[in-house]
Amino acid sequence: MKLQGSYTLPAKREAVWQLLNDPKRLAACLPGCEQLDVVGSDHYLVRLKLGLAAISGSFSGSVRLSDKKPPDSFRMNVEGRGAAGFVQGEANIELVSDGDQTVVRYSGVASVGGLLASVGNRMMELAARRTLEQFFANVASQLRA
Amino acid sequence: MATATRYIGRPLKRKEDPRLIQGLAHYVDDLRLPEMHYVAFVRSPHAHARIRSIDTTRAQTAPGVLAVLTGQDLDKAMGVIPCAAQLPEMKLALRPPLAKERVLFVGEPVALVVAADRYTARDAAELVEVEYEPLTPVVDPEKALAKGAPVLHPQYSDNVAYRWELEGGDVKAAFAKADKVIRQRMVNQRLIPVAMEPRAVVADYQPGENQLTVWSSTQIPHLLRTQIAAVLGVPEYVVHVIAPEVGGGFGSKLNVYAEEVLVAHLAMRLGKPMKWTESRRENFQATIHGRDQIATMELAVRRDGTILGLRCRILADLGAYYQLLTPLIPTLTGLMICGCYKIPAVRVEITGVFTNKMATDAYRGAGRPEATYFIERAMDLVAAELKKDPAEIRRKNFPQPKEFPYATPTGLIYDSANYQKSLDAALKKSNYRKLRAQQAKLRRQGRYLGIGLSTYVEICAMGPSSAMPAGGWESATVRVEPTGKVNVLTGASPHGQGQETSFAQIAADLLGLEPDDIRVVHGDTAVVPYGIGTFGSRATAVGGTAVYTALTKVRDKLAAIAGHILQEDPKRLVFRDRKIFLKSNPAKSLAFAEAVSAAYVAKTLPPGMEPGLEATHFFEPSNFTFPFGAHVAVVEVDAETGEVHLLRYVAVDDCGRVINPLLVDGQVHGGIVQSLGQAFLEEAVYDENGQLLTGELTDYAIPRAWDVPRLETARTVTPSPVNPLGVKGVGEAGTIGATPALINAVVDALAPFGVRHLDMPARRERIWQLIRRARQAGSRPTARRAGAGRDRRVR
Repeated sequence: MKLQGSYTLPAKREAVWQLLNDPKRLAACLPGCEQLDVVGSDHYLVRLKLGLAAISGSFSGSVRLSDKKPPDSFRMNVEGRGAAGFVQGEANIELVSDGDQTVVRYSGVASVGGLLASVGNRMMELAARRTLEQFFANVASQLRA
Repeated sequence: MATATRYIGRPLKRKEDPRLIQGLAHYVDDLRLPEMHYVAFVRSPHAHARIRSIDTTRAQTAPGVLAVLTGQDLDKAMGVIPCAAQLPEMKLALRPPLAKERVLFVGEPVALVVAADRYTARDAAELVEVEYEPLTPVVDPEKALAKGAPVLHPQYSDNVAYRWELEGGDVKAAFAKADKVIRQRMVNQRLIPVAMEPRAVVADYQPGENQLTVWSSTQIPHLLRTQIAAVLGVPEYVVHVIAPEVGGGFGSKLNVYAEEVLVAHLAMRLGKPMKWTESRRENFQATIHGRDQIATMELAVRRDGTILGLRCRILADLGAYYQLLTPLIPTLTGLMICGCYKIPAVRVEITGVFTNKMATDAYRGAGRPEATYFIERAMDLVAAELKKDPAEIRRKNFPQPKEFPYATPTGLIYDSANYQKSLDAALKKSNYRKLRAQQAKLRRQGRYLGIGLSTYVEICAMGPSSAMPAGGWESATVRVEPTGKVNVLTGASPHGQGQETSFAQIAADLLGLEPDDIRVVHGDTAVVPYGIGTFGSRATAVGGTAVYTALTKVRDKLAAIAGHILQEDPKRLVFRDRKIFLKSNPAKSLAFAEAVSAAYVAKTLPPGMEPGLEATHFFEPSNFTFPFGAHVAVVEVDAETGEVHLLRYVAVDDCGRVINPLLVDGQVHGGIVQSLGQAFLEEAVYDENGQLLTGELTDYAIPRAWDVPRLETARTVTPSPVNPLGVKGVGEAGTIGATPALINAVVDALAPFGVRHLDMPARRERIWQLIRRARQAGSRPTARRAGAGRDRRVR
């Protein structure tokens, strides 16, 4: 599954960069995030509660940030698993200035397995987009706060 | 002794139905035992991965959990999942009941949890943490053969499970002298059996008596018992298997599954009764799948339509491991590839390949629907190429009725047939000439009627033991109670076929009783003699014959007793109306119950006769039987939407002598509907990562009542010489004959668009694309919307 898109945030690049690289504030923006522990530099362990169609459950996994070029871009690796299956993903995230705003462009691939894949495949892409939208909306409201 | 056929051949209503429709039947899941515990499985979400570690700590300590086990915990206790098939140079693919180092398909069990109730068990299963190292999955069977493809079983150098070849006649010469060679690649897609009742197992061990009782929703209780004993390493007498009411199998319960041996093992290991009931999702992932063959057919033909030779290469996707009969199924396709045609030279090459999917195995028809589809599609291609009527091409290549028993170049002996007669009957019943005229007329109006034929032959009544992996006979015991009531114990284990009715009809006629005097008992290894089971349309032809022969033994003994009492020659006695009487003087009679009583009271027996009244027979058939028939499907394709309207379906089947026409109709109906599923709707889809996308009934379309028109059935009767009843078998005929008729009809409808083949399922978007492509290529007809007001629709 390919994921690509952009979202415009109401703040300058540096502020956005700071937020995305601050584990505490990031955790507050991740939909369904129940726990986020920093286990190394740019390496977090997370527990998320996610739902898709008739399936919902807890996923535990890790987030790693790499190739950081502040405040332009970074790579993000996400890996999670739970009773409902597993999720793996990798994305390139780019921050582009647009006056007082910042456009976040992301492009990546994700794969899912287990129950999630066998039951939710038809809704998967939609659900992933919706989760991302929710994430950025949360980031936007954090930035406004 | 004459036998009147007062019940054989009559449409008796099923004795089974009252309990089924009133909800009084008992399935495995209905069982509740004191202190029963529940099993839940942790299954792999990966198609191909190494297991790095399994952490069961959290699950073990969850309240209500009795045990959590992994493959390592079972190491020494258990054998592997059995495969009964043996082919030359076949690679072994031994599968432990719980995966140990690697997982090879999504849904493979890696751990299990036992808890006091099923919810706790399932919740705790979620707490088992398995660390996987994903490996590249092998999903496409053709790519699985490519050089450098990842290998599933690392002890081998490639994914080829076996190669199987068969040649009869001079194939080279046949192709050398052909006027034309017709070639086509065809896909027979992967299907999911979807029995209404999923699998379920209950096991209970009593250490004092050293008895392990296993209730399982299975088609083969005795074979399961033998295999459970072997896998657990206990004497067979320890194990008692009961198949209570079984809600459908279609071959998917003709198997020995990991869950069955594991639940049995747990009952012994933990000393509590255990239960596991499969969820529908588990059923989709981890119960066998069916079909999944890619064939390349080549027919060498003369200009007049005579088939001179056939070459067929089949790639069979076996999945990751073998289940009970996995490797054998494609070989049945090979043996039956000539269909009902006199093809003098044939060559078949089958390659079985491992992929990261659930195993394929016997699914209703098991190899024969594939063969029939390939040859029947190919016959239509010949007809199209030579611009001849498909009915005439078929007729031209039938063997004549006087040529039976007919030996095929694949080494089979077709027992008896009259293919001309069944084709004639189907053409007449469908009014074929008129349909063709109507088709021509509608085409001129831009409407696309399709008429599809299929003349099939299949192999069933499996079978002679020499040709079967583990015995092909069947057993029966007839035990007459002192009161004159009769128990018929059959080793065949029916699960929807209706043998409680048909066997009672046979018994009623042979003993001159009423069906209500007879109880047919099955499915309990402690009660009925060792049997093979119900599959391969064998229960009546093989199991019924065992019943028939055991009944004749009982009847002969009763005649001797009655003759002794009446002072008459036993040969002159007749059994009828619950009496045994002199044929020439019916007044000289004895009540059936009196004669039976004499056998037990044992005061008036002929000198030297042993008391009691019970007989057992193990019937070994001398050959398979070969039912046949001719089906006609009529469809209209809407050229704007690609929708297929199934307008009519005519089935003329010949299953030999008919015991109960209602049961035969039921089998034919069910088979055709399942065929319709394969032709138009069903497909098990794995994505490129080996994830099963059609993971439950929301994504896997099976036919509904709405999809089925009124089925017009008829029969011809050509008795089989293989058994004294003259029966052949009909359990799978519908799925064998109907799929090609339906697809031939769709292709026939699309002929004006230059379509000569399309692979199943013939979904509307696929048809729409074919029409669109033809139109874009130009010079193809435009269409008006088909059939306004039609109410039959195939999605």
